Amino acid sequence: MKLGLVIDLDTCVGCHACAVACKQWNTSGTSGPLSDYDPYGSKPSGVWFNRIRHYEVDDYPNNKTINAPMSCMHCEDAACVTVCPTGASYKRPEDGIVLIDQDKCMGCNYCSWACPYGARELDQESGTMKKCTLCVDRIYDENLPESERQPVCVLTCPSHARFFGDFDDPDSEVSKQVRQRSGYSMMPEQGYNPTNKYLPPRQQPAVETHKPRQVSREEHAAEDKPMAQIQRWIAQQLKRQA
Amino acid sequence: MHPAISVICFTLFSGAGYGLISFLCLDDMFDLNFTLSGSGRVWLVGVALVLITVGLLASTLHLANPRNAWRAFFRFRTSWLSREGVFAVLLYPVALFWLLTLWSSDAGGSKILAALTFCLAIATLFSTGMIYACLKTIRQWNTALTPTNYILLGFMLGSLILVASGAGNVTIAVGMVGAAALGKLIYYYWIGQPAGPTINSALGFTRATVRLLDVGHGEGNFLTDEFGYEVAKAKLIWLRVISIVFGFLMPVALLLIFGASAGIPAMVSGFSGVFVERWLFFAEARHVVNLYHGSQST
Amino acid sequence: MSSQLPEFEDHSAQTVKTTTCYMCACRCGIKVTLEGEKIRFIQGNPDHPINKGVLCAKGNAGIMKQMSPAKLTQPLIRKKGAERGSGEFEPISWEDAIELLTDRLRHIRATDPKKLAYFTGRDQMQALTGFWASQFGTINWSAHGGFCSVNMAAGGLYMIGQSFWEFGDPDWEHAKYFMMWGVAEDHASNPIKIGIEKLKRRGAKFVSINPVRTGYQAVADEWIGIKPGTDGLLALSFAHVLLKNDLFDKDFLLRYTNSPQLVICAPGEANDGLLLRADAADENSETQVWSLKSQSIQPWSDIDCEPALFGEYQTADGVTVKTAMTLLAERYLKEEYAPHNIAPQIGVDAETIERLALEMAHVAFRETIEIDTPWTDWAGREHKSFVGRPVAMHAMRGVSAHSNGFQTCRAIHLVQVLLGAIDCPGGHLAKPPFPRHLPPPIKPARDMAPNTPLSGPPLGFPTAPEDLAIDANGEPLRIDKAYSWEAPIANHGLMHMVIKNAVNEDPYAIDTLMLFMANMAWNSSMNTAETQGMLCQKGEDGEYKIPFIVTCDAFNSEMVQYSDLVLPDTTYLERFDTISLLDRPISEPHFACDSIRQPILTPDRDVRPWQEVMLDVGARLGFPALVTDDGKPKYKGYQDFIINWEKSPGIGFLAGYRGEHGEKSLVGEPNQNQWQDYIDNGCFFEYEIPAHQRYYRFANKDYLQWAKSVGFNAHDGPIVMELYSETLQKFRLAGQGLYDGPQPKSEADKQRLVDYFDPMPFWYLPLEQQRVSETEYPFFAVNQRPMFMYHSWDSQNAWLRQIMSQNYLYMNRQRGESLGFADLQWVWVESHNGKIKVQLKLMEGVNSDTVWTWNAIAKQRGAWGLGADAPESSKGFLMNHLIAETLPSDDPTENKSNSDPVTGQAAWYDLRVKISHAEVTDAEVAQQSMPQFDTLKPLPGQEPSASVLRYSAGKQVNLKRSFKDTIMRGFK
Ligand SMILES: Nc1nc2c(c(=O)[nH]1)N[C@H]1C(S)=C(S)[C@@H](COP(=O)(O)OP(=O)(O)OC[C@H]3O[C@@H](n4cnc5c(=O)[nH]c(N)nc54)[C@H](O)[C@@H]3O)O[C@H]1N2
Ligand SMILES: Nc1nc2c(c(=O)[nH]1)N[C@H]1C(S)=C(S)[C@@H](COP(=O)(O)OP(=O)(O)OC[C@H]3O[C@@H](n4cnc5c(=O)[nH]c(N)nc54)[C@H](O)[C@@H]3O)O[C@H]1N2
Ligand code: SF4
Ligand code: SF4
Ligand code: SF4
Ligand code: SF4
Ligand code: SF4
Ligand SMILES: [Mo]
Repeated sequence: MKLGLVIDLDTCVGCHACAVACKQWNTSGTSGPLSDYDPYGSKPSGVWFNRIRHYEVDDYPNNKTINAPMSCMHCEDAACVTVCPTGASYKRPEDGIVLIDQDKCMGCNYCSWACPYGARELDQESGTMKKCTLCVDRIYDENLPESERQPVCVLTCPSHARFFGDFDDPDSEVSKQVRQRSGYSMMPEQGYNPTNKYLPPRQQPAVETHKPRQVSREEHAAEDKPMAQIQRWIAQQLKRQA
Repeated sequence: MHPAISVICFTLFSGAGYGLISFLCLDDMFDLNFTLSGSGRVWLVGVALVLITVGLLASTLHLANPRNAWRAFFRFRTSWLSREGVFAVLLYPVALFWLLTLWSSDAGGSKILAALTFCLAIATLFSTGMIYACLKTIRQWNTALTPTNYILLGFMLGSLILVASGAGNVTIAVGMVGAAALGKLIYYYWIGQPAGPTINSALGFTRATVRLLDVGHGEGNFLTDEFGYEVAKAKLIWLRVISIVFGFLMPVALLLIFGASAGIPAMVSGFSGVFVERWLFFAEARHVVNLYHGSQST
Repeated sequence: MSSQLPEFEDHSAQTVKTTTCYMCACRCGIKVTLEGEKIRFIQGNPDHPINKGVLCAKGNAGIMKQMSPAKLTQPLIRKKGAERGSGEFEPISWEDAIELLTDRLRHIRATDPKKLAYFTGRDQMQALTGFWASQFGTINWSAHGGFCSVNMAAGGLYMIGQSFWEFGDPDWEHAKYFMMWGVAEDHASNPIKIGIEKLKRRGAKFVSINPVRTGYQAVADEWIGIKPGTDGLLALSFAHVLLKNDLFDKDFLLRYTNSPQLVICAPGEANDGLLLRADAADENSETQVWSLKSQSIQPWSDIDCEPALFGEYQTADGVTVKTAMTLLAERYLKEEYAPHNIAPQIGVDAETIERLALEMAHVAFRETIEIDTPWTDWAGREHKSFVGRPVAMHAMRGVSAHSNGFQTCRAIHLVQVLLGAIDCPGGHLAKPPFPRHLPPPIKPARDMAPNTPLSGPPLGFPTAPEDLAIDANGEPLRIDKAYSWEAPIANHGLMHMVIKNAVNEDPYAIDTLMLFMANMAWNSSMNTAETQGMLCQKGEDGEYKIPFIVTCDAFNSEMVQYSDLVLPDTTYLERFDTISLLDRPISEPHFACDSIRQPILTPDRDVRPWQEVMLDVGARLGFPALVTDDGKPKYKGYQDFIINWEKSPGIGFLAGYRGEHGEKSLVGEPNQNQWQDYIDNGCFFEYEIPAHQRYYRFANKDYLQWAKSVGFNAHDGPIVMELYSETLQKFRLAGQGLYDGPQPKSEADKQRLVDYFDPMPFWYLPLEQQRVSETEYPFFAVNQRPMFMYHSWDSQNAWLRQIMSQNYLYMNRQRGESLGFADLQWVWVESHNGKIKVQLKLMEGVNSDTVWTWNAIAKQRGAWGLGADAPESSKGFLMNHLIAETLPSDDPTENKSNSDPVTGQAAWYDLRVKISHAEVTDAEVAQQSMPQFDTLKPLPGQEPSASVLRYSAGKQVNLKRSFKDTIMRGFK
């Protein structure tokens, strides 16, 4: 199994729901609490597994706004794992989820240096590195209804811009989306082979325009164009009548 | 990258220590007679070990959860940080045995132990370099020049300590400084070349300008604190000059003009120059995550 | 494999309860998982009709609202002798507080009930607060609609019998073309997101008209970066193109609108512009059409007469009449509405305007859809299917928050009607109880007497000058001057004028101002700094101009600080609530819905739900509806009241589970188990409308009959859309001095009626912009709702404020650079009303004549449990300082509100500003926004805010990696 997320940049409105849902679930989840520092002061900050950034592509007036949610990509060649000296960081062979064993981490930050995607954040209070767990504490929880065994960011996304599934299964929703919509990886040249994929904004759908009416020469020349037009309609409705 | 003082001290002191001990090993192995006497040599090995230890201790200050530091030896198979730790720790017993043999005989210690110590010191220095060099995320580190410079700078400081202690060889020291300076200059040239990912490839929009609109968190966070460190261009140049002047030009000038009698000022100058160089090594490194925070390139 | 995993969650220690979110007014259904007394998780309820399981950022941050250090903890009273606004409070017991309040109110009620002004902000129980006010006997009540979006409500209710806002929805399931006008987030926060995704996945085109490109606009297929305030022109230009090219749905117009009805053309006469009626003396008699069949005038209801859509005719007594459609066509076919003529004014090129109109026409008429469900119209005509013109639209505050918003909203509805895209598959669908007849048959209350309830609700829908709330001299009866000549169709009141009018004693002085859930001392007032001054203003007698201010809030808002009596409310997780069909409905187009809240947590503070307090006070005051004949409270409390109170027989606050055993829907006797029935159903009720009643409901016989039977509408006749508004014409006649009834006296009032009460949609320059120099103030200034914050509520939220704690002023990059501005520099922003210092950000996606910011991020120092150095107060800013509640004028006695002249809707977005470099020498001040305010004092009993939070509901179960794996594994 190769579990991960697909994020559709065509429908993501950048609402931050997934980011807050992630914070909410995970602060009481397997690697919680996710500490918040100076929460009511001048520099509020804290540990998040998922952050939404907003970009603009091209210049006004051809600009397009892109909202880009980013969490751990559960890379196949995850250097964050190989560089970890304690072995706290690991990739689960059975499903590819990259995790941090909170009991083993020594808080050296090294893995966060190795991650190109900013997916790892140190929790100053516990002294350990934390990151997206792909909601491992939900997706296998048989006490939850089947439909809820999903990452919370996926469950909560109001514009259904997030999909979760097994990329090894060609028939899974994620595989299909990636195939049909030319899903791509961010910063592929880093060579990490991220599992998570992004769907680019679709091409603008072509809508035909109704052909503008050909205006007759007389009509065009008419002093009072509205009246000419209305007279035409009156004539038409009488004709229809006849 | 945020330049953490603990990490700078680690690479500075441990680097110097490994450089120094390497020279002492070579001295012993090949009877080069850098040192005046056996006791002097013992004393210097002690200094090297102290430097190494101070550096290693400093590095643990960097850990947010040092209680688990002992686990750092377990991932020797993949992690340069683990390897560095293993080599660093292995060096102690070997070096202590060697020290014992040195101490017990005036003529010199066990050549085999000296060779082993030498290998471990080089391996540790190399591993330290590789800790940084293996990171594809930081273009300025991801080069063979990184371990090369680590080793050269370690040797340079080692050779300066030797001269400062009244031993050593001015010519070798000047040579080491020159080699290190050359390595560093090549490095500066190399990182000046544009390369690496851009904000376009980071986001996958390659056909037009991409600009950050909003980073999605109002104040700083771990990522911006750790990776977002930025120094004004003018200040960088100024610091480079300082590091080159104090690190390389001054020691060479002092040694060439005043000979071994300027060993101590040359060493102090070298250390301070390399301290700035270490600081710059972090401050000038641009992690690719900055692309997501709005940098156009790294 | 899962067997190898530890048991992460201790489900045995967890309970799950449903309720309704109130992190905003969208009212999503939530499931709250509790672990002991702590919230483990708040998630969307997948069965809920509104959000279908999803939750927004705010909804997901409910835990941090519950953790907020700004929660009020006990009733407070201003210390004796302390100045109002000085933050000197002392605790008071609930019993004393309620006694004190009741005594005061009892006196007002017994003498002059209008001396109580009761206004509510982002409240979801207007039916209850309105009921309370009418039982009290004061007409001085309204909710926030007047400063929010009454333009949209009125625009729709007077034209199509439903509206944008919360009364209608795009048909997300079928629309193939979707045009969104001026929406950043809106009340249907999650439903719009769910809908946009559905549309896009289906391949529909999404066009957004908005000066700024963020949020929804980001995912639009086409972005039209219009200049603010000009949407009316764009819509009318669309109408021009459609008419010119003969692309409009004539059958739809003939059948369902008043466009074939005959309008009297008699300039200078009292009946000019009125509809021709069967009996000229009876304004309720039937309207007339020209029958092509009989070549004579016939009643509109004669469906077989083949009415003419166009033409000018003569009545038997020689009066010239034209069909309404003729008047419309005469106007909109004019070249002044041609795309090339309006293009420069709106900042969109002519080809684009024409193309968009033609695209919509193509989708409406060439990509028509059909739903094969037979239905019968009001006249008994059978239709074998529902024909759909799949062009949907949605519009909100980008349209409504302008003083031309009412007519602009009408212009947009005009385009929808021309396309035949109202309540049809793929078009704009009404949400029950809408559509309603035009307008709903409720008149604003007027007559007040001591100790007597009003005869009806304070707010209603005037249809003629006779319905205004004015006295014999034509002076306003209401403190906000709603339903006066200044704002005749102010269906939702003018909350933004209350404080100023009360302080000016214009039209009269009041005694007590009671505010519920309204932050009038800060982000919901125009002219904030001055408003704070007014709240503390004293008369020559040394008494406060507003003698007593009572605030019910749940949090330490700015408003709390300016109050005399503070009554602390519960949070949304701590109380019972009803979200009623009598209020703003939560219905979906094909479901009539309502919902409740139930307490999930027990308050740990001395707080009470405002509902309980209101009912308690009402019973103490002896409200007839709340006491028995012997003066004893009739209801045991809120829950009992909700179950047993009936508006009319069988109809109460909750429509579900009525009847003795909960077996009846919408109408039925009280059910003593109703609350539990709701709880058992996930805290909501939905009634599914049968398939044949789902569309064309304005004319759908079965629907209309059903809607009458459940009390939505007073009768089951057809709902005729009024493209031509006779109501507006009546007011215009009054302005012209031709009306046979009340007429305004002042020239300004007359002129306003003549100018703006046009029976047909039109565009005019927003009022403030008519008085402010465009060259001196070159930029439009607007703001947007951030998706993750609700007005002022969420800066207290430790998670949400990490996303944003400072707002910036955004400007077009190219424009900014051409003026020498740099990213993040501090600038002065100046309007005719004031000057603020703010930090600038340059961006691509904004119209180059427009600057904007996020709404309500800024806070007064010390409020909301935040530290005094919080960026919200030191760097954030409110646009409100620049916005005046009255129009700029050379005449200091002129006190005309900065509102839509028809509806009184506050014109937040008419603002124009100039921007200059901020020259600052003192580095510290340089990094601060201006103006800066005093730091508010902590309230008694308020704990200092935490410096670190480590919230967790239970013990963490770590997923361990085995030692063997740690040692043995290689690279993969
Ligand atoms: N998250 C969140 N949701 C909310 C609220 C909140 O505070 N936060 N508030 C609720 C309330 S009370 C309300 S009233 C609604 C309001 O919801 P919206 O109608 O979405 O209101 P605004 O955020 O004011 O957005 C107005 C939009 O119109 C654009 N605009 C401004 N002027 C013009 C114009 O002249 N023409 C056009 N075409 N566009 C223009 C602005 O750029 C902005 O995008 O939201 C409700 N929902
Ligand atoms: N510049 C500018 N100003 C604007 C607007 C704009 O677009 N631009 N928009 C306007 C619009 S549309 C609106 S609707 C208004 C909104 O105006 P308001 O409704 O006045 O504003 P809010 O900030 O939502 O907060 C009202 C109060 O409700 C309190 N509250 C929250 N929850 C509870 C509760 O459970 N119980 C009680 N009793 N109180 C509670 C909060 O603490 C707060 O003090 O703002 C208006 N102001
Ligand atoms: S995204 Fe970063 S943390 Fe996640 S697997 Fe890839 S490298 Fe590791
Ligand atoms: S911070 Fe923790 S997980 Fe990351 S490399 Fe260090 S020990 Fe490993
Ligand atoms: S999968 Fe779970 S942990 Fe990962 S980003 Fe989504 S919610 Fe957060
Ligand atoms: S919840 Fe969905 S729409 Fe909102 S930011 Fe996340 S991915 Fe985007
Ligand atoms: S939109 Fe968000 S805040 Fe509003 S009710 Fe729904 S979940 Fe709650
Ligand atoms: Mo609003």
